[in-house]
Amino acid sequence: MATDILTLEDVVAGYGKMTILHGTSFAVRRGAITTVIGPNGAGKSTVFKTVFGMLPARSGRILFDDAEITNMAPRELLARGISYVPQGRNIFPELSVRHNLELGAVMAPGGFDLSGRLEAAMDRFPVLRRKAAAQASTLSGGEQKMLEIARSLLLEPKLMLIDEPSIGLSPIMVNELFAILAELRGRGITVLLIEQNAKRALESSDHGIVLELGRTRIAETAEAILADPRIGQLFLGGGLVEKVPVIPGSPP
Amino acid sequence: MADFIQLLVAGLATGGIYALVAIGFTLLWQTSQTINFAQGEFVMLPAFFMLGAMSVLGLPFWGAVVVGILVAALVLGVLFKRLVVDPMLHHGVLPLAIATMALSLFLKEAVKDFYSAEAQPFPPLAADVNVSFLGAAVSLQSLIVVAIAIGAVVALQLFLNNTQTGRRMQATAQNPTVARILGIPVERMILLAFVINAVLAALASALVTPIYLAKFSNGEYLGIAAFIAAIVGGFNQVRGAILGGLLLGVVDNFAAAYLSAQYRAAIPLVLLIVVILFRPQGLLGRVEERTV
Repeated sequence: MATDILTLEDVVAGYGKMTILHGTSFAVRRGAITTVIGPNGAGKSTVFKTVFGMLPARSGRILFDDAEITNMAPRELLARGISYVPQGRNIFPELSVRHNLELGAVMAPGGFDLSGRLEAAMDRFPVLRRKAAAQASTLSGGEQKMLEIARSLLLEPKLMLIDEPSIGLSPIMVNELFAILAELRGRGITVLLIEQNAKRALESSDHGIVLELGRTRIAETAEAILADPRIGQLFLGGGLVEKVPVIPGSPP
Repeated sequence: MADFIQLLVAGLATGGIYALVAIGFTLLWQTSQTINFAQGEFVMLPAFFMLGAMSVLGLPFWGAVVVGILVAALVLGVLFKRLVVDPMLHHGVLPLAIATMALSLFLKEAVKDFYSAEAQPFPPLAADVNVSFLGAAVSLQSLIVVAIAIGAVVALQLFLNNTQTGRRMQATAQNPTVARILGIPVERMILLAFVINAVLAALASALVTPIYLAKFSNGEYLGIAAFIAAIVGGFNQVRGAILGGLLLGVVDNFAAAYLSAQYRAAIPLVLLIVVILFRPQGLLGRVEERTV
């Protein structure tokens, strides 16, 4: 088993005539938490959509578990062990909390113990048990995020893509969220995260990837990125383009 | 009192038919942003499938109804989706709506040319007798219409809420992107919504045609009434369409009896305007956020 679970090689993707990813390459270490950071428009969410088959890659390759998954449909990716929690609200507002949760198991393999898995999920997230029969729209923002995360864990994925989970959450919820991500890592689940709150996210991550204008600028350990003076500069405006040469070689 | 009950049952019978047709509007809107202006013709046409099944295949009435519903599911469900909606949908909501208007004209003219412009006799659902119901004499036909409409609505609700497929269909309607992310076969769910719409319309056809006889123009008023019912109840809610349909049928019958038969046709429009003014999302509708 390779140390990298997910690899992007020169991926080009975009919307209509607009190209967002101009040959993005990076690798994600198995069993770690990796955070993708970068200014607005760097292509962070586009990377996730492209990996998860929601947006076609125009060229390049994406590998998962050493097999090519470029432009595979979400159904196939779910069956292979990838799950995706997009930005914003991703619940079905008029279905009950329990029925929302259940929909995480659409691609369950034969012999899947649905009720057992639902029980386990509600044990881990007691609020979902308390409100199991309520309409999902009655949950608070933080509770909805918990529901989305619990739902995307139902099939025990190997890799979870989570886009900006902390947006709009209270500081207490944000702490709980990062505790959950650490717990997932403990269970051997690889987490690939996008966060606007870069500092907070990197402090809880093992690795960091800095995207700018659809290209990987830096791929390092989270610690090294936190200590890197260029990062502040990147987030305070001025890009890296003229100031720093592109790091040669392939990402670690 | 007896008058009141008579009118109520007659109103619920009309309303039940409106509701069946109005539900389809909400199903198609929710799953694929389709406003089907041929919906009335989707009710007019199956009666001719049924007449055909009786005259060509020699089937008894109820057998012909089943065949008519199946043919409708195929032609007005699957083929409508594949041949009209799929090619038009990516051009936007408006071009698709206009395409359905064209389809409406096409279906009306086709029936006129291939069948007849004259109203064709259609077998009654039951003998034309009155039965005693809560002290009033109401027509057996009306009671049967109410019973079948309620049965169909209950069956649909059970399917949507109590089966896995039904909930996946709801999920597709409420958030198609997330449905796809979770692996729900979104395309199949949308097709299913079209098939259900066609089945409900065909059922409404079997209920309404014995009253009006089979005629190419039957869908004109019915389509508008169901459209108004769906807006009044809430265009994005199945239960809104049910409420809107029943309300419209009952109000219609009471207004004709107690206010004025002359203004009968205006009543649904008054109801529509009042609801749009004070509750634009409809009585049970959910406010939809749209980015322009």
